[in-house]
Amino acid sequence: MLWNQEPLKRLIRKVIGASPDSPTPDERFRDEALPHLPAVTRFALSLTRDESDAEDLVQETYLRAFRAWDQFVPGSECRAWLFTICRHTHFRASRREQRVVAYEDAELEALGAAAVHAAAQADGLEDVFSRMDVMEAIRAAVDGLPDPFREVVVLVDLEEQSYEDAARVLEIPKGTVRSRLFRGRRLLQEQLIEYARDAGLATQKRPDIAGEDISNDD
Amino acid sequence: MMTEMLDCDAVMRQLWDYLDGELTPDREKAVRAHLAVCNRCHPQQDFEQSFLRALSASRREHSRPDTIKARVLAALRADGFAA
Repeated sequence: MLWNQEPLKRLIRKVIGASPDSPTPDERFRDEALPHLPAVTRFALSLTRDESDAEDLVQETYLRAFRAWDQFVPGSECRAWLFTICRHTHFRASRREQRVVAYEDAELEALGAAAVHAAAQADGLEDVFSRMDVMEAIRAAVDGLPDPFREVVVLVDLEEQSYEDAARVLEIPKGTVRSRLFRGRRLLQEQLIEYARDAGLATQKRPDIAGEDISNDD
Repeated sequence: MMTEMLDCDAVMRQLWDYLDGELTPDREKAVRAHLAVCNRCHPQQDFEQSFLRALSASRREHSRPDTIKARVLAALRADGFAA
């Protein structure tokens, strides 16, 4: 249909009581949904791990969002809404079931972070994230995370979503976002420290307790 | 109200929530007060912060953003989008 539908839409808005000057739904979609295209593209890329598949997914996401635009609650987080649609579309297309994560305890995971830090300290790797070019290693480690952890890390750490918005996108409780996020971060750190050791960046000593004999070989 | 006194264990359990800005203002204040004076917890805060900074900087963009934008707009217009 190629005729200009704007006069008709304006008339309908007038009849239903909307001001003729207020933005049309399409204008609102343009102003509220389209600016999130780069973020939705990054999110799609994190789901598909393939640029061409990500393009298809982004297009499908925006089409579905446009068709469901009247269901978007004005004033709510549009980016999170688009992420939700993107994720649904992806899982429907790939027909993949979300794997169930056995046991989740955010408190234990938070304490696990202290253990990782202690291990990094012991190897002289405390500044590992700032002193070497870790970008590619981090990207590879994020790509390698199991889906339930990767999704949360991408949403919170890369796309700066709050725990609550991430919970909404993933349709899981906020407590589950916390525990998966903390576990995902620990898995990433462990892998990156392993990477740094393999790259020969560890000093193999404990500078903070110099002089203490840590070899128990004899 | 006096700031709540926290021990290292309690701070470790809440460190990620603190760094993510997810604590209540009172709790955040208490964690910040502990971190300011604790030689054990402060280095861990630095470590985790540098990790989060590196992670955030690893964000990957699509190599053809213009192609995607053009494709999305074309698909939307074919679907009746008029703005």
